[in-house]
This record gives sequence, structure tokens and C-alpha cells, in this order.
Amino acid sequence: MKSDLNYNEAYIKLQDLVEQLEDGNIPLDKLAAKVKQANELLAVCENKLRQLEADIEVASRSVVKTEKKKK
Amino acid sequence: MTDSIRLSTLTQLIQDTIQSRFEGEIFTVSARIMNVKKYESSRRCYLTLEEYEYGTKVTEIRAVFWANTYSEIEKFEKVLRQPFKDGAEITCKVKVRYHKVYGLNLDVLQIDVAHALGTLELERQQTLERLVRENPESIQLYDGVYRTYNNRLPLPLVISKIALITAPNSDGQRDFLQELKQNKHQYQFTITEFLTTIQGDNAHQLILEQLQLIEQSKEPFDLVAIVRGGGSLGDFKPFDDYALSAYVAKFPVPVFTGIGHDRNQSIVDLMAREQKTPTKVAAMIVEHNFSFENTLIDLRRRISDTITRQLDRAKDRLEQAKRIIRLSSPQDILNRGFAIITHNDQIIVDPKKITEQMQLQTILKNEIIHSTVTKKTKNEK
Repeated sequence: MKSDLNYNEAYIKLQDLVEQLEDGNIPLDKLAAKVKQANELLAVCENKLRQLEADIEVASRSVVKTEKKKK
Repeated sequence: MTDSIRLSTLTQLIQDTIQSRFEGEIFTVSARIMNVKKYESSRRCYLTLEEYEYGTKVTEIRAVFWANTYSEIEKFEKVLRQPFKDGAEITCKVKVRYHKVYGLNLDVLQIDVAHALGTLELERQQTLERLVRENPESIQLYDGVYRTYNNRLPLPLVISKIALITAPNSDGQRDFLQELKQNKHQYQFTITEFLTTIQGDNAHQLILEQLQLIEQSKEPFDLVAIVRGGGSLGDFKPFDDYALSAYVAKFPVPVFTGIGHDRNQSIVDLMAREQKTPTKVAAMIVEHNFSFENTLIDLRRRISDTITRQLDRAKDRLEQAKRIIRLSSPQDILNRGFAIITHNDQIIVDPKKITEQMQLQTILKNEIIHSTVTKKTKNEK
């Protein structure tokens, strides 16, 4: 799985795959490959989201620190 | 030469004559007060009442406030917000008294404060009308409120650089600085003081000069505060001056006044933004900055809430996707008791492809069953 996808790109692909799975039209012999791909995209999205949360947390803390210094 | 009489006999005669003429009679007179000498400890005031025509004095007589009428002076100063001093015009009730040693005097019984107030108010109204008439671009009257160029200037989001006009070592200076320096939010301010006399005959000119200095300094002040003394009874007149009022109305930096009076508004107050006392001006500045900080805090909270909401929504979507993927996986299908049928390692999706005698593998969760098709019928369920 290409890891250079950003969150939105990965999520759009994931959404597409999930819709296919929900429709039930995927031939059973291709199902395993689709599920595998969906799981990989899910992992990409979850990792990006966790990283995003950590980045926001760091950014918020640095703003508070700067303000305290000013005072 | 007629026979001489004793001086005291003559003065007695004068006293009797005056007494018989003026006994019990009270007169109301208007006059200018001069040579005012107040003795607060003994509560007496000696002065002269004078009358002028075309700038020339036409009469003068000595007058006295005794202890029982001294409160009239205090009432005059309190109501009119101006000191009882040389040059003031008063209307008062007097009684004529002659004393053989102290001579002719008028005992002042009462000052007509209402009359004096009316005169002052008239002058004030005339000044206000002139300000509006002569400065239509910068001073307008709407529904009884004076809108000036200055009092409509927007305040900066944060006030930090302040020009302070006040009297050196005054209560007003101390109160203002103390309130700012001890503010509970620990905001820092840069205060440049422009010290001058704030009371007295020439005060309006001196205050105006300080405003000119502020303007000439080209310093980027956020605000000018004109403050005066902690509720002391002072001369109100400088702040009703036409030139000072007009200058304040047009001043390019927002002016706040705290000149220590509760009941009346001076004209300068009307041209600027009035906060009554030095402490209140300082408190307003702190409050203004606090309000801005609150706006920032609120914005930060909203940003944080929005981000949290977005992240939660994204997590929910991923959870939902994860559930669907899990339910769709072949392993999950087997776990739920279904089977997959293959022939030569190919999953058979279409049952039409199954024929009798075909070798099939039925894949279950834990086993694979190898079988041969002996019979094929329709599923009638």
C-alpha cells in the first residue's frame, strides 16, 4: 500500500471499497483481496489521524507556552 | 466753629440712624466678590462686594459671612463646583450693619445658588452650541448626545501605550497608576506622563499644551487619559473651556476623562469618553484588554471544539468502515458457519458451473471437506 497518500485520498479510496463491500457485488474470489486492501487503507487513515491528533496537541501546548512567556 | 462732640457720640448717632432705617430689612443684591479671606477654623469669611459698569468699579462695600452663614460658601462650592474666590459673581441676601469700631458692613445671610447655577448653565449651553455650530465636521448633537470625531474613534483591540495628563503628585495620578499597575490580570502598560497644573485660571491652556505635546511627539499612543483628583472639590471651569473642548473633540487619539466628579459632566467629558474618576478610567482600560483576552479564549475553545468534533467524526467513520470490512472478510463468513466451495482452487460463485461427478472442496472454519457431486437439485426454500 502506498503510504504517501494523504488522509483524504486514503479515506476516499477506503469509502469506495467499503461501499463495494456493502453492495455485496464483489465476487467471492476477489473478496479477500478487497478486504486486505480495505484493511491497509484503514490502517493508513488511523495512523494519519493519530499523527494529526498528536500534532494538534503539540501545537496547542506551544501556543500556551508562548503566551505564558509573554506575561 | 460749633462745639465739638465726642466721636463715639457721632458714631452712635450714625449707628442709631442706620439701625432705625435698616433694622430688620433684608436686601437681595448681585455683586462681584473680591478680597475674599476665608477663615475655615473660625468659619468666617471677609470680603468686599463690588459692582462694575463697563469695566469700571462703581461701588464697593465690605461684607462678612459669620459662623452661622459660613455653610452658604460651602454650599456654593459644592453645587457650582467652583471655588468661592475673587471674581465670582453672586446674588445674595444681605443685612446692613454698622458697628462703631468695625464700621459699615453687609452681613451676608444667603447666597442664591440657583441663580448662580443658572448663569453657569447658560454659559455652558452657549459654549456647547458654539462648539456644534463652529465645528460641524467634528462635533454633532444627536438625540441629546454629543458625537465627536474623538469619541467615535475606534479603540485598538489591546490598549498598552497610554499618555497620561495629570497633576504631579496628585491623588488622581496615584489612583490611576495604582489601578493599572496592580491589575489582577498582570497586563503590562507603557505610560508616558504629561504633568501639568489641572486646576486654576490657566489650567485649560496648560492641558491644551500637553495635548499639543502628545500630538507633536508622534508616539503611537493608544489612548490619552486626562485625570484629576480623587473626588476633591475643584474648579470645574477649565473643562468647560471652548478651546480645550474643541481641541479634544478633534484629537486623533481616543481621550478618556476621569476628572473626579459624579453629578455633572464637563464639556470636555462630552467631547471625549467619560469615566468619572481616575480609578474608573484605569479599570476601563484593564477591562477592555480583558474583554479582548476573553475573545481569544473563546476563539481558542471554539477551534478546539471544532477540531475535536472533526476528529471524533473521522474516528466514527473509520470504526464504521472497520466493522463493514470485518463482516465482509471471508474468514468472518466462515466464522459465522458459512462455507466456501472451490473446484481446482477456484471459488465457485455460480452454482450453474457445478455438475454431477465434479470434485469439490467445501471450506469450513477449521476443515476442508473433499467430495464428489452425486446429485444436484433446486433449493426450493
